[in-house]
Amino acid sequence: MNELIPLMVIVPLMAALLISAFSRFNKVTKIFAFVVAICLPIIPIASNYGLHYFGGYEPMLDNVTNVMFHPAITYSFSFPQQIFIAMIGLLTFLVVFIYLTKYKEVSGPYLFLLFLGTAAVTAMLLTDDIFHMFVFFEILALAQVGIVAASSIDYSYEMALKYMILGSIGSPIMLLGIGFLLALTGSVNVTDIAAAVHNGLVDMTSPVFLLSLGLIFFGWLYASGLPPFHTIKSGIYSKAEPHGAALLQSFTVISMISIVLIMFRIYSSLPIFEVLVVFFSILAMILGVSLALTQTDFRRMIGFLAVGELGFIGLGIGLGTQYAITAGLFQALNEIIITALLFIGFGAIVNATNEVDTRKLGGLLAYHPKVSIMLLIGGLAMAGVPPLSGFQSKLMLVQASLSCGFPEISILAIMVSIATFVVFVKTFYAMFLRPKPNDLEVEGKEVPRSMIFAMGILLIIIILLGIFPDMVINGISSFVGGML
Amino acid sequence: MAHVQLAILFTSAALVIIGLYSAIFIDNIIKKIIGISFIEEGANLFIVAIGYKPGGVVPILMPGMDTSWFASNAAYPLPFGLVLTSIVIGASTLAVMLALVMVLYRRYGTLSTKVMLADTSKQEEYDE
Repeated sequence: MNELIPLMVIVPLMAALLISAFSRFNKVTKIFAFVVAICLPIIPIASNYGLHYFGGYEPMLDNVTNVMFHPAITYSFSFPQQIFIAMIGLLTFLVVFIYLTKYKEVSGPYLFLLFLGTAAVTAMLLTDDIFHMFVFFEILALAQVGIVAASSIDYSYEMALKYMILGSIGSPIMLLGIGFLLALTGSVNVTDIAAAVHNGLVDMTSPVFLLSLGLIFFGWLYASGLPPFHTIKSGIYSKAEPHGAALLQSFTVISMISIVLIMFRIYSSLPIFEVLVVFFSILAMILGVSLALTQTDFRRMIGFLAVGELGFIGLGIGLGTQYAITAGLFQALNEIIITALLFIGFGAIVNATNEVDTRKLGGLLAYHPKVSIMLLIGGLAMAGVPPLSGFQSKLMLVQASLSCGFPEISILAIMVSIATFVVFVKTFYAMFLRPKPNDLEVEGKEVPRSMIFAMGILLIIIILLGIFPDMVINGISSFVGGML
Repeated sequence: MAHVQLAILFTSAALVIIGLYSAIFIDNIIKKIIGISFIEEGANLFIVAIGYKPGGVVPILMPGMDTSWFASNAAYPLPFGLVLTSIVIGASTLAVMLALVMVLYRRYGTLSTKVMLADTSKQEEYDE
């Protein structure tokens, strides 16, 4: 059933185009979007693991050099891809569901952007071709900009343009890096490039090779929102609709891990690569949580916390051992779920109060107890409180850094987790526990049931992954073992 | 390396550097976008230069051509295919950027990024 592998990209892509074309038929669009969205998590679960060669062009042997090469774009599908694509599919379904139930008249272009982004990140996860990854990286940037610009929040256009300008500088720089790799190896297939590098066909100390690392690394920093792009990344989360932000952060996490895994396969022999990844990850952890502490806009606060959590993922991958990379990927999965829960939950609060400033909020526990409790559990999971999923991945990361001989990094990771806890508890107290300010008008609006449903589903996954982490750790670990 | 290829590589480097200068230091948003296009075209030109082969032929196998002669004389076609895709993406990005600029120009009546893209919190204070 390997034919299902390309369908994971084709289905959302075609759905996006069809929805955009027929958006004037509101009811049909709604039904079609719902049906496609429900298919998205099902396709990866129903598909078998394996490879898909586009055009049926399988790897060939070069008679002159006696080296195998891939003449066509290849999609590789194994357990981590399955779990991540299923999770993105589920999240897209929940976001589309919230959107469809929130508005009577839906916007075709907005649904187009949601599905386009999903298709792009899915392709980035599946592809074994660095240029194909770049193409979808660009498409993803366009979708992200569109999702931000489509929101009704003040200054969303300005933020979208800012993000786009930075992206338009970052993308060609990354393309130059890919060009350097192409010049060195004659291929854009990651397996072929990695084979050429590790078989000594490429001089790893050559300035061109090192420059290609620097250029692709710059593109990765932009895609991941790691410093120096952390401010703009948290900015776009705060300017998107909350359910859109939930999806945007998952796009960031997926693009981060897909690019870093490709870089890892090519550059892992260079010690500087791991040093760079760990350095920027630690910087993200520290800056993310420090800036989150100073925020009064809670959307921006979660944005910075999300950037800090990205640092944990990078840390795991930068440490480079099987256990550490497994921990990093598990952390990525947890971050997607936990941050989505927080964005949707806080979105429910915006919906009810029309206020985002924590200084002007208070006493909301009495008005929205369900949302409060779910947000509390989500926040505790992000801070790494047992037995929730965030605890398991952070514990693994601390153990991994200890076993790699870096106790100082593990101490730092624990301190950042504690700071995350402080940030969350402070915000939770300000919004839910302290007495309601007199001038705060809590409208009698109920939180939409679709939001409660989405949060409930995400919460169940957080608790399940916290109690039974082996459900995913074993599969990810064997994939990482194979990659190493 | 042929002289032509070297000249192309220098041109692409010049385009990237001029583009970076313009995108980072110039305040006018349209000039910034032109700079961004320069960077994109510099990258594209660089990739095209990789596929160049001195004395090579167009990589299209015509009837009657000897395949081994063709294999050793044809230019490398992969970079051209990649650049074609990259140009299309660049055009889409440019269109979206210009559309956003149009909306913001109508709102602010200026093309200065200092006014248009100033920090939103500062803008809020300024508005008050």
